[in-house]
Amino acid sequence: MLTVLLKISVVTFSLMLLMQLNVFAQSDDLTKRLERAATLISENHEPEAERELAVILKSKPNEPLALNLLGTVRAKQGRLDEAESLFSRALRIDKEFVGAHKNLAYLYLLKGQPEKTVLELKEIVRLKPDDADASYKLAHLLFALGHLDDCINFIEANRQSHTPTVPLITLLGDAYQKKGSLEKAEESYLQALNAQSNDADALVGLAAVSQAKGDGKRAALYLARARESMTDAPDLLYRFAVAALRAEMFDDAKRALERAVELKPDEASYLVALGAVWLKKPDLFEAERVFRRALELQPEDAQAEMYLGYTLLKQKKLPEARGWLEKSTRKDAVPPETFYYLGLIAQEQNEDERAIELFEKAVRLLPSFSNAHIALGSTYLKLKNYARAQSELETGVKLKPDDTKAHYNLARLYAQLKDQRRAQEEMAIVEKLKSANNSGTQEGDVSAPSSPR
Amino acid sequence: MNFFQASIVKNRYVILLLLISLLYFTHDSAAQQTSVKKNRVITFEELSAKASGITWVHNNAHSPERYLPETVGAGCAFLDYDNDGWMDIYLVNSGPSDFYTPTAPLKNALYHNNHDGTFTDVTDKAGVAGGTFGMGVAVGDYDGDGFVDIYVTAYGRNILYHNNGNGTFTDVTTHAGVAAPGWSTCAVWFDYDNDGKLDLFVSSFVNYDKSAQNLYCTDETTKRRYYCVPRFFKPQPSHLFHNNGNGTFTDVSRESGIADYPGKSFGVVATDVNNDGLIDLFVANDTMPNFLFINKGHGKFEEEGLAAGVAFSENGKTRSGMGVDAADTDGDGWQDLFVANIDQEFFSLYHNQKDLTFTDEPGEIAPATQLLSGWGLKFFDYNNDGDPDLFLTNGHPDDLIEMRVSRVKYKEPLLLFENTGKGFRNVSAQSGAVFAKDFSGRGMAVGDFDNDGDLDVLISNNGEAPVLLRNEGGNRNNWLGLQLVATKSNPAAVGAVITWQAGGVKRSRLKTGGGSYLSSHDPREILGLGTATKVESVEIRWPSGKVDKLANLPINAYIKVVEGEGFVKSRSTSK
Repeated sequence: MLTVLLKISVVTFSLMLLMQLNVFAQSDDLTKRLERAATLISENHEPEAERELAVILKSKPNEPLALNLLGTVRAKQGRLDEAESLFSRALRIDKEFVGAHKNLAYLYLLKGQPEKTVLELKEIVRLKPDDADASYKLAHLLFALGHLDDCINFIEANRQSHTPTVPLITLLGDAYQKKGSLEKAEESYLQALNAQSNDADALVGLAAVSQAKGDGKRAALYLARARESMTDAPDLLYRFAVAALRAEMFDDAKRALERAVELKPDEASYLVALGAVWLKKPDLFEAERVFRRALELQPEDAQAEMYLGYTLLKQKKLPEARGWLEKSTRKDAVPPETFYYLGLIAQEQNEDERAIELFEKAVRLLPSFSNAHIALGSTYLKLKNYARAQSELETGVKLKPDDTKAHYNLARLYAQLKDQRRAQEEMAIVEKLKSANNSGTQEGDVSAPSSPR
Repeated sequence: MNFFQASIVKNRYVILLLLISLLYFTHDSAAQQTSVKKNRVITFEELSAKASGITWVHNNAHSPERYLPETVGAGCAFLDYDNDGWMDIYLVNSGPSDFYTPTAPLKNALYHNNHDGTFTDVTDKAGVAGGTFGMGVAVGDYDGDGFVDIYVTAYGRNILYHNNGNGTFTDVTTHAGVAAPGWSTCAVWFDYDNDGKLDLFVSSFVNYDKSAQNLYCTDETTKRRYYCVPRFFKPQPSHLFHNNGNGTFTDVSRESGIADYPGKSFGVVATDVNNDGLIDLFVANDTMPNFLFINKGHGKFEEEGLAAGVAFSENGKTRSGMGVDAADTDGDGWQDLFVANIDQEFFSLYHNQKDLTFTDEPGEIAPATQLLSGWGLKFFDYNNDGDPDLFLTNGHPDDLIEMRVSRVKYKEPLLLFENTGKGFRNVSAQSGAVFAKDFSGRGMAVGDFDNDGDLDVLISNNGEAPVLLRNEGGNRNNWLGLQLVATKSNPAAVGAVITWQAGGVKRSRLKTGGGSYLSSHDPREILGLGTATKVESVEIRWPSGKVDKLANLPINAYIKVVEGEGFVKSRSTSK
């Protein structure tokens, strides 16, 4: 929930302090007092504002504007429950008070209750269907919460009655993309581009769609265009960098992330992505530094823990690597790579049975995980269980025919079985792969984690 | 206006972070305190040229053309050439070659030990100045006359200096038949057929001469030349010379099987990895698989590096093997192997699985050496606690590396790892100021030059003065030094197994040949006794099969042990 909250916090909500006071039939004196209270709040003079509001509420205890303002004071004081009660009271008196709905929406976000925020935003959009900002925020929140169908339905419905804004259409593309509807995603992004030909958000979205379709060239072209119209919006820079990382445009990814980090130095997800770029450069020391910083900012970030563990594993700092990787498994949805990395550490630390357990766990989670099969094979080879070793290594080769480690271990297996001919054949494959530089495996490489999501 | 109260959320994180940090700090601090309490500091102190009298400086013939032999040398040795019981020093220099004509004559150097911590240059008198583009040195008494001889490897022609027993040497290379033309690097004396005579293995590096193509490599951006990676050159077979017992040798490279495996060989160590009493060879190759030549008897070797798991990295990649050594690091009675590689490749400590397979278990050594390139290295018991520790000499071969690769340096620090019984612990930082310095280290030899019962270190640097390090405090633990004098076995007693018991702890050590890089070591064996004040027993199983059991031995002294006769006499020491 905390993670969701942090992601959502990218969307900022404004407090509607000065809600068109003139539309209410207030006495001049009341209006003046309310305006003064609002000004005092905006200038961070809460005690004085509170005194002003107390005077109003003494004579008009059910004045919704005053209740709303007092709720704001309480929220600023961190007294969130009292704030909620005041905003709610204001709304009981005036159900259509949009400002109080907005404040309540933001309050629920702070309280880690985004579903309630959704309800408030829906109410705002119902009351003010042309409120583009509220519409976007609602759609964005639905997207961030993973309610993709709701998000899509809302934007599509919105499209019927209003001309949608470019950010909303792009968000629709994002939702379709996340749902796996690549064609519809592409259509939305293109529509956004029709409205605004250099919209970097849409271009990054199109690059991601192209990558998902396996069209790296096209993705690179879109990214190159996006680079030209990139703005200083940290989230956009981040998304651009993630796509660039996937497209192996490491320098572009690095530049974008460094800028994003400059703009929002406390955003852990940017640092995780930057660390992933350093891993590709490769500069393990810089990657380690960045992941450690990310974990300082967000100590429970499982992805950062996994990345740091992997980085330390690559540097053969095994005990610490093990610590971080094990920590990352305490969360839900552990990626199979984590068990694979832990298996490699166990293998290096001579805990072969544990290594086998971990590799098998990785294979159970992802049966096509070639590296885990190969590692299983090499562990069985160490234990001289030649039959199991051969079986796992051959599975590995079937899944990843150009893996030098698999062929090398098969060569060792045959050499130990005194089958020199087959050993030499396997080594010949290793040599061929090396000269073709096919494997992409670096020294000490244990297959890097997937790019950040 | 926002009332975006991020600070409320953030403050919670800050508190959590502080708590976590405090927990970590508390934990570290406790661990460090325990470690400090246990440790008695032993340091290696650098002796200045003024203090030691060793004023010789290596000339690497560095040129803008960057011919590869320039960056590879050179080696050094501790040897007692005049049998006075004190370790003398030999240092190898570059010299004339097809790519280099020195402006002034270059000499190897023989320094006589004056028994007071100083040395005197006796090179000219001894007649061992060299004269070729020298690489390494291997010391051994090939003719069994009781005086050690010197074999100098080179790019060009190797030299065998016969020790005349009167402080002079004679170049007998041609007569002996051990010139081994081409580019030789490391050499080791050992007895592969157990006939009691020292045979000679000589590593060959790449096929190289000035006329060869790709003699140099150029950075396309800077247009500057740099030292080529050996991958550009063709491999060469190494040499095995059988000692005929009459001052001559027969090249048995082909019939032994050694010549079937052309390599780009650097370090070599002679040891017995399968405990069959026949000495095997572990050879490090640069950009090629390492060789593990298993001695099958009857003069035959089979290369089993692939099956053994010591030829390649764990991913099946060749690495840049340079320095090597062997020792039983965990006291299980089986020889483990070590090979140092170039930066980013990690060094390997191959643990013997007792069935001719090995597993790479470098532990703490791996992360400490990730950015280093290792050459001279040796397992030895620097603190006399009974188990072998590890000393590493490092330096990148490419003097322009810092312009091309971040974080990697040309000159690199030395490293010392203490054997804790559960692995190796990096103790460099607490072992003397010299570990904070950087060197273009290459050769490294180990020997007790001051006869105080702890092993000192000699390092030869490429293009710089050598470094002599005195072990200060290693002899706080008790020890017993053995000078093994073979009568039937090979004169160096390579392959002898020494088993000793002190304080109720039984330990054993196989006497290996060679190890390190281009260098040769004090032939005596110092047995670490820890705090035990008595040696309960010593047994020497000689390569000939004879067993000598010794009792009533002194401690903190060197003793001479003659094969078949046992303990003969003790010698005083400077302790």
